[in-house]
Amino acid sequence: MSDAALNSIRLNPTPVRTIAGKDIRDALRDRFILIVTAFLGLAALVALVTGAIALRSDVATYEAAKASLLALGKSADAIKAPEFYPLRLLRGAIEQIEIIGAAIAILIGYRSAASERGRQTLALMLTRPMRRWQFVAGKALAGIGLLAGGLALVLGGLTLLLHLMSGIGLGMDDLLRIAIVWAVAVAYTACFFLVSFILSLHMKQPSHALLVAFAIWLTLVLVAPQIGDTLDPDNQVAGGVFKQLNIAKPDQIQIMKGFATFETVRDGIEQASVTKHFERFTFAVLGIKATYAGMPLGPILIEMLGNLIWIFLTALGLGALALALPLNPDRLAKA
Amino acid sequence: MEAAPSPGWLIARQSARFVLRERTVALLSLMFVVLVLVSAWLGWSATSTVNRIYLDAAAFLQAAGQPVPTNPVLDISPLSLMRNMSVYVALIGALSAIVIGNRLIGLDRKAGVLPLIGIRPLGRNSYAAGKIAALTGLILALGAVAGVVAVATFLMLPVITLTGTQWAQLAGFMAVTTLYMGIFGLIGLAAGTWAKSETVGLLLPVTLWLTLTFILPQLTANLNPTAAINPISALATPPDTSFFHGAAVVLGPVSLADAYKFASAALLDYLPQGIASPSFIPPVINLVLATGLAGAIAWRALTRLSMTQGEYNV
Repeated sequence: MSDAALNSIRLNPTPVRTIAGKDIRDALRDRFILIVTAFLGLAALVALVTGAIALRSDVATYEAAKASLLALGKSADAIKAPEFYPLRLLRGAIEQIEIIGAAIAILIGYRSAASERGRQTLALMLTRPMRRWQFVAGKALAGIGLLAGGLALVLGGLTLLLHLMSGIGLGMDDLLRIAIVWAVAVAYTACFFLVSFILSLHMKQPSHALLVAFAIWLTLVLVAPQIGDTLDPDNQVAGGVFKQLNIAKPDQIQIMKGFATFETVRDGIEQASVTKHFERFTFAVLGIKATYAGMPLGPILIEMLGNLIWIFLTALGLGALALALPLNPDRLAKA
Repeated sequence: MEAAPSPGWLIARQSARFVLRERTVALLSLMFVVLVLVSAWLGWSATSTVNRIYLDAAAFLQAAGQPVPTNPVLDISPLSLMRNMSVYVALIGALSAIVIGNRLIGLDRKAGVLPLIGIRPLGRNSYAAGKIAALTGLILALGAVAGVVAVATFLMLPVITLTGTQWAQLAGFMAVTTLYMGIFGLIGLAAGTWAKSETVGLLLPVTLWLTLTFILPQLTANLNPTAAINPISALATPPDTSFFHGAAVVLGPVSLADAYKFASAALLDYLPQGIASPSFIPPVINLVLATGLAGAIAWRALTRLSMTQGEYNV
């Protein structure tokens, strides 16, 4: 390629936009994205509705118990009223994004790379006057854009439903929190998109790449957090070990000081997974974790900055890797 | 002179050999074995940590002059050390089975050998029986590996001795585990046979697996996805509302992940008292019925496969 042509490419980002636009049009035309987004939306909707029904049942139980106490002439202070923070109802939906959203990102990454290989069009495209990084960047932008759109639809729908269902409506602060969660969810799912995209682009057989990507998904999304969760001593005994031993919170902390190494290992296993960082961040921002309920957004963001950095650095690192790895045209035919 | 092996046996042997050569199958099977080992370590580590916490707490309570409750570890059956295996089987075991089922038919279709097989003196039934026999053999092998790890763990760990009944319960758990993987293997085989595209053949059973593992437990017991993969949290009592009662009646029999969790918890002695499976059908019977249904679907798909083409679309 001549210097003049290369300069023209450097100045004009059209190839990236063209490839991204074409990929988005292809994805929308074959309805794959719509189907997987509908699946994620259904999973999130089920989580929201079942959570709301369970909460309504808690409130009814509380009201019945309160009425019984008052009828007996006793004070209702003895029983704790169920707390209602509307955003907490998003817990199940966030967990579905954490698991199914990441799986969908893997599928989009696989399709993005495998489609050109399947149609034998990749080598042809690379004969066009463009840099190889532009081809990769266009594909990656399209995939992440589709994920962002799908997540916006799902979270937007849930927000609307929550606003109508909660009875008290959602304020600007709530909407801001959901918007932040959306942005972080895009970065989180982008990590899995990029893993699958890189593997599908570079492994000899794309179908093998898909399976390897699923193996990584299993390890990061399901196994690592599950190991950390299982090693939590409080999860070993129904109701919690300290509760069964009738030990107060300050004494629990004192006893657990002797298990500092164990807790460090347990936390380290959890921390190794980008999923746990996503969960910690979103649970804090939405007040799902009790200690953050009712807390202003600013201090939460400062406290959760480490998790945020981890998620974005993982996505950026994988993005840089996708751009840096040289494409081998001989490997880009249908396997 | 030796009698020639039956066509079904030839198909089964050749298919199993080809699948075992696949690197992805080897990778997933290796992951499964590693996770089975991890589950044994997790069970031991978590239980011994609770025991040490109890000893520290007992000393603390004695010093404070407070009554010391009984050690919760003593209430736990040694079999429950293996409770994490039920989670890993539901995750990686089921996924491995789907991939094995998919590759058993996918390799023939991709290689374009179906027309060649079709012209041989071989009935469709023999072909279907051979494929299902190959799947059965491979799933049994996976189950056997998990069983060997479980048995070795109990034989190696000091202080733990199982009674005859407990060994029988462990054998029952391994049988249920093999059955559960078999269901997904058969679904993988059916989807791989029926689908026009290789990707769809893999994605259909994976979507079904995601639905059974993470969506149905939410409808039957208000169980969030991360709780669904914790062996203890997954055994929660559903909220006492007409919605969850209705959902349990309608969806309970098809909620196979729930059936497997409850069957495992009962066999490994960690099912809390007063908690039962959401389905009105007992969990083990539920899994047996599901295996029969999945087998019938796989048989129908295989016996109706067009031998004249068979190759996947792009």
